[in-house]
Amino acid sequence: MKLYDQIFGVVKQFKKLFSPGPVTNADVSGSITAEIFLIVSMVLAVILLRHISPLLAGLVTLILAIVLISNIPLIPKFKIEQEDSLEKMLFYAIVVLALIVTFIYWGGSLV
Amino acid sequence: MNELIPLMVIVPLMAALLISAFSKFNRITKIFAFVVALCLPLIPILSNYGLHYFGGYEPMLDNVTGVMFHPAITYSFTFLQQVFIGAVGLLTFLVIFIYLTKYKEVSGPYLFLLFLGTAAVTAMILTDDIFHMFVFFEILALAQVGIVAASSIDYSYEMALKYMILGSIGSPMMLLGIGFLLALTGSVNITDIASAVHMGLIDATSPVFLLSLALIFFGWLYASGLPPFHTIKSGIYSKAEPHGAALLQSFTVMAMISIVLIMFRIYSSLPIFEVLIVFFSILAMILGVSLALTQTDFRRMIGFLAVGELGFIGLGIGLGTNFSLTAGLFQALNEILITALLFIGFGAIVNATNEVDTRKLGGLLAYHPKVSIMLLIGGLAMAGVPPLNGFQSKLMLVQASLSCGFPELSILAIMVSIATFVVFVKTYYTIFLKPKPNDLELENRDVPRSMVLVMGILLIIIVILGIFPDMVTNGISSFVGGIL
Repeated sequence: MKLYDQIFGVVKQFKKLFSPGPVTNADVSGSITAEIFLIVSMVLAVILLRHISPLLAGLVTLILAIVLISNIPLIPKFKIEQEDSLEKMLFYAIVVLALIVTFIYWGGSLV
Repeated sequence: MNELIPLMVIVPLMAALLISAFSKFNRITKIFAFVVALCLPLIPILSNYGLHYFGGYEPMLDNVTGVMFHPAITYSFTFLQQVFIGAVGLLTFLVIFIYLTKYKEVSGPYLFLLFLGTAAVTAMILTDDIFHMFVFFEILALAQVGIVAASSIDYSYEMALKYMILGSIGSPMMLLGIGFLLALTGSVNITDIASAVHMGLIDATSPVFLLSLALIFFGWLYASGLPPFHTIKSGIYSKAEPHGAALLQSFTVMAMISIVLIMFRIYSSLPIFEVLIVFFSILAMILGVSLALTQTDFRRMIGFLAVGELGFIGLGIGLGTNFSLTAGLFQALNEILITALLFIGFGAIVNATNEVDTRKLGGLLAYHPKVSIMLLIGGLAMAGVPPLNGFQSKLMLVQASLSCGFPELSILAIMVSIATFVVFVKTYYTIFLKPKPNDLELENRDVPRSMVLVMGILLIIIVILGIFPDMVTNGISSFVGGIL
């Protein structure tokens, strides 16, 4: 019952996602699909780490799956971070630039 | 006729300038724009494959090292360029046809921007000079901003300004990366730089070389709208006129493949390069499709789907084999056609209803059956349903990732295709199949015939490419064999 309540709570939180305006069945089913797709695809993508180390892939997959499932609903959080705010776009652009430069400059010769 | 190679850039560029200068003569402007737009797909068809050296400066052989140097800005025209320039030329013609038939009084500056964008992407895919590519990349960014700002949609100025501000981070980074390459090699010719790297004249693990990759790669993310630029890219598509959005997405795909092919020639010896491309492609696919599933504005939904589809192109290129690169480039061609069809089709719905919120629409199948059927087939093509072209390229990508030893990527690609199908079915149901809301007014609003005709032309090409993919894939495969 706890998982059922949790999923029901997720559906109720989708209301905020579509406000203002009515929430239709199609919107809720789309959001649930997005939620499941997001979790499964991210876990699947992490399995690629097996090319570095199978143990690392197993550990990261397990931890990520637990973190993602215990934090549902993810889509409202994701959508807030992906909105049209210039500040957020600039923030993520600069963070990604810093990560790419750091990763390639110090880790480029290792991969 | 190799003389036609530079004309592929010069003709739209000159047309842009002339139309802008003489735009007050409405009738002449319309006729001139139509004739020039008609020439755009014809020039690459009539031109022979080959090289064009601006200024006539032929390559020089260094007798001491035995290395060939290219002093001139060089345009290289092969089957790949022919296909992509032909596709964008055709799309430009169709978009200008819609624009000219839609408005009695045409805007010279708007036509200027459309031709300027086409000239810029054509130059980017033809050039063998990395600085020349950057100049046209900047021109393209300005043209894209202008096309969005010139639309009459709410908040289009705001979105265009945001795109320009983000470009002020992406573009200088790319220029800095090109500067580092110039400092290392003393040349901006891509063939010269690539041969210097592959002959071992440059240490591929040197920090400056690696930093140049990081900076150019970041500029490429901005040009292609891959994360973290996926939000702004989908935003500018949704704030442009539908025909403008159709052309904008083709510009994005062309810029993406032009720059990534240049990077591939220079940096393919570094495994980290392919890792990065695959990483950002996966991210684009996941984010694009997940966010598309939650949209209620169907223009924004198509924008996010277009970003997700870019991930497929990147995946093919990131895997780095002949087959995967062919699949990625074929996917790029398919995306140009399919997304253009969807933007124009959904634009026709906006034209008929003046509404973009899927919750306020419904029952349009009875009112616009032709548009709905063509949109349905376009959506199925994007989702990868056989026998359409999207199926062929996505099947090739799945096979390529399997043969490279990455079954996870194959599963992910199939999952993204299924999710794309869900997005499309959901949107199609809410717009066309569910009962029409009482407050939705459709009186005296019809879909322009030009839009239906253009959709029909694009659909025919989509079906032909789906049934006969070899028409394109054999030529692309030969091109890829040349750069590997």
